[in-house]
Amino acid sequence: MSLLSERLGWIVFEAETKRLHELVKAVLPELDGIVGWEQGFDALHATPVFVNREEDVHRLMWSPLCVHNLSGYLVKTPPFLPRDEGRKVGICVKGCDSRSLVALEQEKFLGRDRLHIFGIPCEGTVDWRRVMKKIPLRGVSSVRREGPELKVEDSRGVHSLPWEESLARRCLRCAHPNPLVHDVLVRDPVEPRIKKDEAYGLVEEMDQKSLEERLAFWSAELDRCIRCYACRNACPLCVCQDRCIVETRDPKWLTQKMGISEKFMFHMIHSLHLAGRCTECGECERVCPMEIPVTLMKEKLNQITREILGYEAGIDSQLVPPLLTFNPGEHEL
Amino acid sequence: MRIGVFVCQCGTNIASTVDTDAVAQKTLMLPDVVYSTSYMYTCSEPGQKEIQQAIAEHGLQGVVVAACSPRMHEPTFRRAVEKAGLNRYMFEMANIREHVSWIGTDREANTRKACDLVEMAVAKLRYNQPLFSSKVPIHKKVLVIGGGVAGIQAALDCAEGGLDVVLVEKKTTIGGRMAQLDKTFPTVDCSSCILGPKMVDVSQKENITLLASSEVENISGYVGNFKVDVRKKATYVDWSACTGCGACIEKCPSRKVPDSFNEELGNARAINIPFPQAIPKKAAIRREYCLHFTKGKCGVCKKICPVDAVDYEMQDEILTEDVGAIIVATGYDLFDHSVYGEYGGGRYPDVISGLQYERILSASGPYGGHIKRPSDGKEPRDIVFVACVGSRDASVDRPYCSGICCMYIAKQAILTKDHVPGSNSYVFYMDIRSPGKNYDEFVRRAQEEYGVQYIRGRVGKIYPRGDRMVVQGADTLLGMQVEVEADLVVLATGVESASGSRELAEKLRISYDQYGFYMESHPKLRPVETNTAGVYLAGVCQGPKDIPASVAQGSAAAAKVQALFSRDTIETNPQVALVNERSCISCGKCIQVCPYGAIQWKELRGGERKAEVLPSVCQGCGLCNATCPCKAIQLLHATDNQILAEVNELFG
Repeated sequence: MSLLSERLGWIVFEAETKRLHELVKAVLPELDGIVGWEQGFDALHATPVFVNREEDVHRLMWSPLCVHNLSGYLVKTPPFLPRDEGRKVGICVKGCDSRSLVALEQEKFLGRDRLHIFGIPCEGTVDWRRVMKKIPLRGVSSVRREGPELKVEDSRGVHSLPWEESLARRCLRCAHPNPLVHDVLVRDPVEPRIKKDEAYGLVEEMDQKSLEERLAFWSAELDRCIRCYACRNACPLCVCQDRCIVETRDPKWLTQKMGISEKFMFHMIHSLHLAGRCTECGECERVCPMEIPVTLMKEKLNQITREILGYEAGIDSQLVPPLLTFNPGEHEL
Repeated sequence: MRIGVFVCQCGTNIASTVDTDAVAQKTLMLPDVVYSTSYMYTCSEPGQKEIQQAIAEHGLQGVVVAACSPRMHEPTFRRAVEKAGLNRYMFEMANIREHVSWIGTDREANTRKACDLVEMAVAKLRYNQPLFSSKVPIHKKVLVIGGGVAGIQAALDCAEGGLDVVLVEKKTTIGGRMAQLDKTFPTVDCSSCILGPKMVDVSQKENITLLASSEVENISGYVGNFKVDVRKKATYVDWSACTGCGACIEKCPSRKVPDSFNEELGNARAINIPFPQAIPKKAAIRREYCLHFTKGKCGVCKKICPVDAVDYEMQDEILTEDVGAIIVATGYDLFDHSVYGEYGGGRYPDVISGLQYERILSASGPYGGHIKRPSDGKEPRDIVFVACVGSRDASVDRPYCSGICCMYIAKQAILTKDHVPGSNSYVFYMDIRSPGKNYDEFVRRAQEEYGVQYIRGRVGKIYPRGDRMVVQGADTLLGMQVEVEADLVVLATGVESASGSRELAEKLRISYDQYGFYMESHPKLRPVETNTAGVYLAGVCQGPKDIPASVAQGSAAAAKVQALFSRDTIETNPQVALVNERSCISCGKCIQVCPYGAIQWKELRGGERKAEVLPSVCQGCGLCNATCPCKAIQLLHATDNQILAEVNELFG
């Protein structure tokens, strides 16, 4: 097994990866396939992988570089979920990813009985862009966590960075590190980093600013938007895909016109479509090539949803999201 | 599109603060607008003629009228353009009266805003499409929910007009609250004597199906075609056999059953017929008090019944009825006065509710029509009536006036004097509300002929002294505190919505106010309609009212049903939601949010599912359109493109 750690460049998460292989091997014959992560083009990058043969199981891995929320693959075209309703698939999820599964189940896009969920309690994922900004790296050969430090080895030697400074913003405000739904857990549950009500610190900071300051902030941020729609494509709950109203021209909500008004409009629509649905997995922000903090808008709407409706998305599969129901008894709205 | 704009001056209503000529001139500059004018009264005969002429002369394809609220005259103008050959939906209205001239005096600003509104209407009109109604057949049978006087009247009027009626009553007999009353104000008629014949009529009309001891379980469908599930609750007596002889009641050993018809004064038996004039006059067992059900032995009624009607194995039954219209007449409950701690919180037997006193006065009541007080059966000499108990009191969340208490107190005070000639009656009141025919005269008679002492002020406290009650209150006319010692205190308990009214409203998909009273479609002009087509209201379920008003509403609701059923088909409103199947992503969110159940799945070839709107059920509220993430569902005549055109015109 020393080979494995050498190849992955990891020493700390070898046990979890090994355990994942065992668990996958045990159920693979009953499944149509499994979606998980494998080593990417260098040690700093993982990439999603679909496995349906036993000889490929060794490709699966777990490490804090397994940043992707894989749940979108189950519902987006072509869906990884087979049409045959008797068949199941396996999926690897972190705490945040599991909430997407719950939300998709709440909205009846998924049946829990179609899934075999490998839950992975997570202590945070590494934001490689943050790392690169601190240490410009070239030809990364290994990445590992040693206690409070992230150690990265590239062509110029070994660099170290405080662990906390390498984490993604979404992970620093994570209250649900342990998968809420799972069939098996790959490792023991971990302590949440913060409590639920502390998760909206950045939103509260924004609220302190004047309207003009906020407009100036968002104008500057959104001005960079290139309307590549990566945020939308990465969002597991953005299920309209080709029918998304930012691309269809009837009804004509958006045009090809250049300028910030169309960019604003797109992000407002995206955020409002996720109001009371977004599980704050942070994928939209992670994939944004222009590094716009787009999850922040959804965080604000979620904070409002919590305050007014006492509701949090992706927690209880039996609940109906409040904006997806009609209740004439709701007076406070 | 060739568009014509007609700016109305509404006499001086609009012209005094809006330069209507300037609006007409300015809109003529808009693209597509080929004709524009301003006129004194566009809604008048010549005004409409002018529109029709312009359509012909200028080949108009769409018309904008800038005038009052569309709620006022949209139908007028739609008819006018239709007569001139346009589709009625190729018309838009800009409200420059309620939204402009009436709310501001700055002529320049008003004119500017009027121009904006007209421009928006023109922008929308460019996207308008001709829309056409479709026709659906009507199932000519009516469901009446509630067998009180309002429901009875509605059922009788419908039946009289030849309609088939299903009357559903929760209790084992019809009659409702009116059956519990002794006399009615202001004529002091015997309540059951005037109600009785109507109840008998209900049982004898061949086209009325009376389902007593039944409740509405579920309602689906839409105007003209509702499907209603009714739960017929087990009475444990086979009503087709029961003759109402009462032998079982006489022998029933379970004697400590609270008599709800007598408002818990006195006891009934576990098997019971609530009152002699009951319709249907059939016995029913109350399971929770019956020794056979609670102790597992007894069976006396079964042995005694001469026709062997008692059936302990009876189960609830679900009946399904297809009806075209529904009249809701579910009545009210009495306010529970025990929330008033200062009035004894229900602890004192001689502090009773108005309806309890009504039962005491009644010859078929617990004391055979002799006025006695509940505690010791003594005839009271001094009686205090307290008005507004649970009415006009925001502290108990009942800020509304119950409307009947002032009158029933006057009646009860008069009757008291008749029953006990030497008695003294006192009434503590806030204001006297007697705005009916002969009502105020009646109250005056109570005061002047019957010597009832009216004290204007609220009662602060009621407490016992010896075997009497002390009523402490203010006399605000004299500006002093008063104390009256009474043998009996009658609280004029107010009206509240019937328990379960909210749940029923959900099933009916009608709205209700914060107190549980059902909302009429318009408080003045559509008082018995609801916002759900084919569902009508009658009686106190819509808000407190007296017997004549309830009866009038019963008749009014019946007239509405007759009018609806006078045609064989109904025209649907084409302003409904429509799904673009190519854009629909089958997420089902529209189905979840639709308040009317108007959207369902439609299976395409290949097993793919798409949302589908039932146009005759859709009320055009637009919730689905707002919810649909890809905007595949559009509300016709208020499409996204139409709204966006308006918004872009304003801000673009």
